[in-house]
Amino acid sequence: MKKFLTLFSLFAISFSQAQTKSIDSSAVYILDKMADIIGSLESVKFDIDTANDKLDVDGNLSTYYATSNIAMTGPNKFTSTTNGDAGNFGYWYDGEYISYYSLTEHNYVTLEAPETILTMIDSMHTAFDFKFPAADFFYPSFTDDLIEDFDTISYEGQRSVDGEKCFYITATNADKHIQLWITSNTTLLPKRLIIVYKTEGNLQFETSFYNWELNPNIPEAIYNFTPPPHASLISIMAKS
Amino acid sequence: MKLILNSIKYFSATALIVILSLGTTETMHAQRLKHPVSRGGNKSMAHKPASRPVSRPTTANRKITTPTNRGGSINGGHTKVISRNNLPNRNTNNKTTVNRNRPTINNNNKQVINRNKPTINNNKGKQVINRNKNTSNVKTINRRPGNTGGGRNNININNSHNNININVNNNRHNHRNTYVRHSHRHYTRPPHIFGGFRFYCHWPYYYHPYRPYYWGPHWHPWGYFVTSLATTAIIVAIIDDNNDNNEEYHYDNGTYYLKTEDGFEAVQAPIGAQVPSIPDEAEKVTVNETNNYYYGGAFYEQNADGYIVVPATAGTIVPNLPEGGEEVKIGDQTYVQFGDTYYQPIQVDGKNMYEIVDVLEDE
Repeated sequence: MKKFLTLFSLFAISFSQAQTKSIDSSAVYILDKMADIIGSLESVKFDIDTANDKLDVDGNLSTYYATSNIAMTGPNKFTSTTNGDAGNFGYWYDGEYISYYSLTEHNYVTLEAPETILTMIDSMHTAFDFKFPAADFFYPSFTDDLIEDFDTISYEGQRSVDGEKCFYITATNADKHIQLWITSNTTLLPKRLIIVYKTEGNLQFETSFYNWELNPNIPEAIYNFTPPPHASLISIMAKS
Repeated sequence: MKLILNSIKYFSATALIVILSLGTTETMHAQRLKHPVSRGGNKSMAHKPASRPVSRPTTANRKITTPTNRGGSINGGHTKVISRNNLPNRNTNNKTTVNRNRPTINNNNKQVINRNKPTINNNKGKQVINRNKNTSNVKTINRRPGNTGGGRNNININNSHNNININVNNNRHNHRNTYVRHSHRHYTRPPHIFGGFRFYCHWPYYYHPYRPYYWGPHWHPWGYFVTSLATTAIIVAIIDDNNDNNEEYHYDNGTYYLKTEDGFEAVQAPIGAQVPSIPDEAEKVTVNETNNYYYGGAFYEQNADGYIVVPATAGTIVPNLPEGGEEVKIGDQTYVQFGDTYYQPIQVDGKNMYEIVDVLEDE
């Protein structure tokens, strides 16, 4: 009897944890539609502006701004160039190799890479902490990942960003609060993302998307990295 | 007694159930948001080895396909693993819960990718990929008892990732003589954090390219080979050498040589080597409020018998580095690595210099 009561209480605890989740079907519908559109793309180009809060040596807030230009062609071509306060750099992935080049330091890293954009992004991030701009939206299970990770996801109505009507969605868990604006025209696409890190002094990360080009014809040459003259090939440390 | 054993078994089983019900707390992070579902066996997210074998086994039934550069989705198509059926309908104010019982993959919801779409210019101007591209060395940080200040038992743990090609540095001399003593000076700057390690420095990171320095005509870089030594060369006494190898070191005017079968090879200064004098070009460097001498990448302490080679000490600032180092990108910073010693590029009074990094493993 005692065993039964203990097991029952454990399942009750698990069940109560599930009860605390609040996922809005309208929000999921919008997120799914956006993920459907992104998942159906064969190539895409867009630009983003980011603002990333960090604490300086004295604990004061310092915001780093950057602009990135991104292009990808399925299933195995990706490039991005970033110019910002934290440095200027770019990634080039041609289906065989991924190269990171720091324009600031004039050195580069070239590695063999997995065979698709997402496996490359995922493995390079995991192994070397490469941060690809706006990569979150290109995970094929983007909506599922949000549902899995966040306790609350809700659709909060429409709001305007730069004069464009957007669906406004929020998601919250113990660590993060995110706000997501998705354009409400025929092609639902990310317009703005804000992440607030609740357990890290409410530091904020913001991305704004613009200049979307869907299924453009992108020359393959832009995905190939050719080291600039006198640039140094350097080694890289893998995360332990 | 039997009752106690039963109670222990029961408690263990209960604890196991609790752990399993909580799930894995250490979900891997990808980018800024977590993507646990994307990693959860989704075919399009299956990890493939970054380093592919040169030849692959073929089977008679296997259809050989040539990968095309166009005609595929950028992410393999949107996938939905979690069922939407139990999501609340916004209009009916249903109780908002999620079906946490992971359903089987709902194949009906899966996106159908139009693979019949005509590809554009698939043959014209096709890029020839240079398969002989030079790639970067992938390294891991040596873990050792007591972190960087430990003994000489280097344990290179490669627990990073199965799909990464790790080139292990087998240069025993570099490893043996490059461990770093911790500094007792307090660091006011936050560390650079990467891969479970914290990289402490007193000075801010200021990148400048690594240009090996040459200490004049008498000094020879590591790897320099001579068949015979000058008459001024002496055999070096190694103080407190715990190494079992009977390696014979020779010293001549700031350069150390290891005797080989064919001659003598210039090597990194062995820690504990006692020499009567060091070149006049040696510079004074301040280490923990005491003065050391720096020449040819080696640190010396003065004693009654002359000078003894000592390990590098974290926080020490040096103006130049010899040949034999390697620039390594660690997160978003680039250090110069000599074995287990990492030098952070810094700038002091407008002059490019290097500070020895204190590397501590996260608890």
